[in-house]
Amino acid sequence: MEQFGYTQSEASLDAVFAALADPTRRAILTRLAEGEASVNEIAAPFAISQPAVSRHLKVLERAGLIEREVDEQRRPARLKAQKMAAAVDWLTEFKAFWDVSFDQLDDVLTSLKRAKESDKDHE
Amino acid sequence: MSDLPQYEIDRLFDAPREMVWRAWTDPELLARWYGPGVETIIHKFDLKPGGLWLNEMKWGEKSDRSKMAFQEVVPLEKLVWHHSSTDADWNVISNPMMAGWPRVLLATVTFEDHGAQTKVRLTMVPLDASETEVARFAEAMAGMDKGWGSGFAIQEEIFAELQAQSA
Repeated sequence: MEQFGYTQSEASLDAVFAALADPTRRAILTRLAEGEASVNEIAAPFAISQPAVSRHLKVLERAGLIEREVDEQRRPARLKAQKMAAAVDWLTEFKAFWDVSFDQLDDVLTSLKRAKESDKDHE
Repeated sequence: MSDLPQYEIDRLFDAPREMVWRAWTDPELLARWYGPGVETIIHKFDLKPGGLWLNEMKWGEKSDRSKMAFQEVVPLEKLVWHHSSTDADWNVISNPMMAGWPRVLLATVTFEDHGAQTKVRLTMVPLDASETEVARFAEAMAGMDKGWGSGFAIQEEIFAELQAQSA
């Protein structure tokens, strides 16, 4: 596993986050995680029109989060894992930065307490 | 703005407050834990309002620098600083990973007794960010905490696909 850092320095991650900054688009991605789906199938559970779903799909496609079949008439959309993984990684790292740092702080505090106790023993 | 989006993390440490405070404010101790799995070098640490903490994190050939400008220092109680990524000359730059992300975050750390333990709360909010940047920060943080709603399904899908690709 990569250590914390800005290893995936893609400027395009900006577009990924812009695309993700919308609850409907996140819900669409969640739907696509279950498998590919056509615009009709995606629109069904949402209270939005097919053209609105199409617009959301375009944003997701430009960000590289999904791809769409060109040949078939129903043009199913499908999740593209690589890009999504980069975004999830970044957020996970932000959280991991503090979670792991705080684990390390725990260790420092434990050694400080031990040092203090052994000082007492020598008194 | 009363309801700025914020990243918040609480943690209970099994140590007296004085010791936890020392671990945060003695640069030698701070360098031992700040930054996960990296070598942390503290180039400057001037603990007073207006003072700077210049931090470098190194891993392999890579290096990541950040500048913290202390705003408030209340011994044993509170630290407040402006947090930003910098270039090698400590000039504030956009986060190299994310253009359009707020350049400066306001970080607040509070220390509270919790019996024999100490509760630390860290919050980070965008400072002087545009509305777009604030919105992006809010969405990203909210999404992270909720795991993207049923985002775990997404992550499982991702891992499955990545494994299939590498197989």
